[in-house]
Amino acid sequence: MTMTSTDARGAPWSREPRPRQGPLTDVRVADFCWMGVGSLATRFLADFGAQVIKIEDRTRLDLPRRLPIYKGEPARAYGEEVPNPDPNKGGLFNNYNRNKLGVTINMRTERGRELAEELIRASNVVTENFAPGVMERWGLTEQRVRSLRPDVIYARMSGYGHSGPHQHYRSYGPVVQAVSGLSFVSGLPGREPSGWGLSYMDNQAAYYNSAALLMAVFARNMTGEGTDIDVSAVDAGIELLGPLLLDVAVNQRSTRTESFPTGNRLEHPQAAPHGVYPCSGDDRWVAISVFDDDEWRALVASMGNPAWAGEPMFATQADRFEHQDELDRHIGAWTSTRDRHEVMHRLQGAGVRAGAVQDARDLTETDPQIGAHGTFFELDHPVIGPALFEGVPFRMAGLEPDNWRSAPLLGEDNDYVFKTILGMDDDELAELTAAGVI
Amino acid sequence: MRTPYEGLRVVELADDPAGELTGAQFAHLGGDVVKVEPPEGAASRRTGPFAGGVADPERSLSYWYYNGSKRSVVLDLTEDGDRASFHGLLDSGDVFVTSLHPRQLRRIGLELSDLVAPRPALIVVSMTPFGMSGPWSDYLSSDLVGLAASGLLNTSGYDDHSIPPIRPSGDQGFHTAASFAHLGALIALIQRQQTGYGDIIDVSMHDACAVTCELANPYWFYPQVLVQRQTCRHAQPQQTQPALFQCLDGYVYFALVLSDQKPWQTLVAWLDSQGLAADLIDPEYESLEHRQANFPHIQDLVECFFVLQNAQQAYHEGQERGLPIGILNAPEDLMHDEHLQARRFFVPVEHDGYGGVPHPGVPYRFSAYTPPPLRAAPRLGEHTAEVLEELTR
Repeated sequence: MTMTSTDARGAPWSREPRPRQGPLTDVRVADFCWMGVGSLATRFLADFGAQVIKIEDRTRLDLPRRLPIYKGEPARAYGEEVPNPDPNKGGLFNNYNRNKLGVTINMRTERGRELAEELIRASNVVTENFAPGVMERWGLTEQRVRSLRPDVIYARMSGYGHSGPHQHYRSYGPVVQAVSGLSFVSGLPGREPSGWGLSYMDNQAAYYNSAALLMAVFARNMTGEGTDIDVSAVDAGIELLGPLLLDVAVNQRSTRTESFPTGNRLEHPQAAPHGVYPCSGDDRWVAISVFDDDEWRALVASMGNPAWAGEPMFATQADRFEHQDELDRHIGAWTSTRDRHEVMHRLQGAGVRAGAVQDARDLTETDPQIGAHGTFFELDHPVIGPALFEGVPFRMAGLEPDNWRSAPLLGEDNDYVFKTILGMDDDELAELTAAGVI
Repeated sequence: MRTPYEGLRVVELADDPAGELTGAQFAHLGGDVVKVEPPEGAASRRTGPFAGGVADPERSLSYWYYNGSKRSVVLDLTEDGDRASFHGLLDSGDVFVTSLHPRQLRRIGLELSDLVAPRPALIVVSMTPFGMSGPWSDYLSSDLVGLAASGLLNTSGYDDHSIPPIRPSGDQGFHTAASFAHLGALIALIQRQQTGYGDIIDVSMHDACAVTCELANPYWFYPQVLVQRQTCRHAQPQQTQPALFQCLDGYVYFALVLSDQKPWQTLVAWLDSQGLAADLIDPEYESLEHRQANFPHIQDLVECFFVLQNAQQAYHEGQERGLPIGILNAPEDLMHDEHLQARRFFVPVEHDGYGGVPHPGVPYRFSAYTPPPLRAAPRLGEHTAEVLEELTR
């Protein structure tokens, strides 16, 4: 995690585009995506060798370039942008756009739109996650894109999908989570929902979009035919709600009651204890889940067989489920004087499901799984310097991601893409630059 | 070709939502997913809720939810004959999906390396709590424990930090592992188109959730700050204004952002249309500095506005005015949503004795492919004879 003068393969560090490795090297993406969902969706393809050409607008910077998540500077909240930010300093942009090429095209100019069409002709995948209608305004309807590239895979990523009366609604992660039901079902009973402290559905919608793209690539490799793709984040969010949906559909279950949602407790199966308990230190916690008698006995033994655990009200799993308030008080009293990791390791050592509530510093500095797997890895960046990245969370025996470069600087690959891929000469490039087209 | 997975055989040996949702991704898009169950049935058959509230392996709604369009084959893997059938199934398979830890597989006489050695084209997708290597690889987990250790849980809960972090519901730790299992399988399938060889994909739920925390890790990687959980809105380095607004009959999510002029004017016009803008129409509010200096006052007025609104009306009117506002739908609201109805998102699935039960449809739409109709989850061993007979051909 320290070297910056050579890349992961030991070659001298270079930002020059090079032939990629991986199963997707035949895939070239004209990538109009921005923000979170789209950028994450195409990042997965770039990790495995696809040539993803990120198309940006100099006059309408991608939000992650502007968000004030800067190395070596004091923290600012998400919305607190600085005036005239350096577009190459944004940490979130770096995180979302590694392994991609970057070009700039001003789509409000006719020459810019022509250039985009040339790029689409030279690509075999087109991706976008603008508000519905933006691509159409540039003439890039499904028909037009297919006429430019008959075997194209044209992926449209949106909050609500490209049909239906709300397709024009505006959304981002928290709105998708609200509308799909994921926020309402999370929280303590009798209080307002606690929902989500993150745009979970930016990540999950990105994963669903990556999967849709890969399914289309897999199928095209057999048939030679492309497809349009319409993935709605709200649809994906509803699929992720899980079996509760059928409880509502089959049993006419109402969730608008004083006893729902159930906080950290499970309804099914009847696990108990099943909660998050205080530990020593400020705002430190440990999660514990017990599903059966064996796990309960192991937990009781780990706590030193306290007398309360032998009371009849805790005799069976059903008893413990019924008396969770009392149970949680006892467990919390035991954990509250102990270190969260110490509790985790002691209980896990006895076969009890337990996990310290970790934060980003724990993951980065001490978590031995993230460390052993190399899930966070480092790449250098000309403006930001060395930085950590969130890698692919699975390992394969015969293949690994091709992490060749951090995110592109704004327009960094204009020369390479317009000259090497589209065959322009220096004069033309200079002219386009001077005219503000690129 | 009707679907991307037409002609693909997937063998599933799974006992948690991660494994079962991964199998479902293939089944919903036309793959032939053979779910291998022990004689007593998969664990999800014993997990509620149950149709009619009656505990019955054929009435588990957890089982129904995750196992539609699959075929169920009962095999006792501790018996030689059934184990031979299982190996025959794997011989016919393209992908083997399992959420059993290698330790659990060993207990029933299965070693992943032995499974792949004679089948170089087989793709094995393994989902485990912490991955197959590393010091915590033998640790046990649950959805809650997985979310806790991965950092995701730390971002969610209430402003009041005497309340512990609260688990976002719906087995999302397992579901996040499933998303990466599906992606890993796809990468391996495309690799196999080129090389003819399969691979073993070792998905760690812990790692999958750890890269799904959105801003928490970048805030540590770059300015080295930790985010703090807040009620139903992004965990941030500093406290921000509430974004959950109570209405007459529910809640809406709306993040009040002052910095952009146009959404501000839109909001004020909306409040003013009901005579509730108070002093926000005064010219001094056109300046960002003035708005920032009076943020708590603005927040109060917006709270007063929403508390007088019907949540559905506020959602639609806000959106029609161009504001990114979302209603907090309860699950039972979704089936009545006009947009989802127009998209025919929910599809009726015939379940014995229950008629057409609405299930969420496939969240992928392809112009070139039409997924087959969703079939009800199989009865225990419904396809045992059929599948074993196929293997003899």
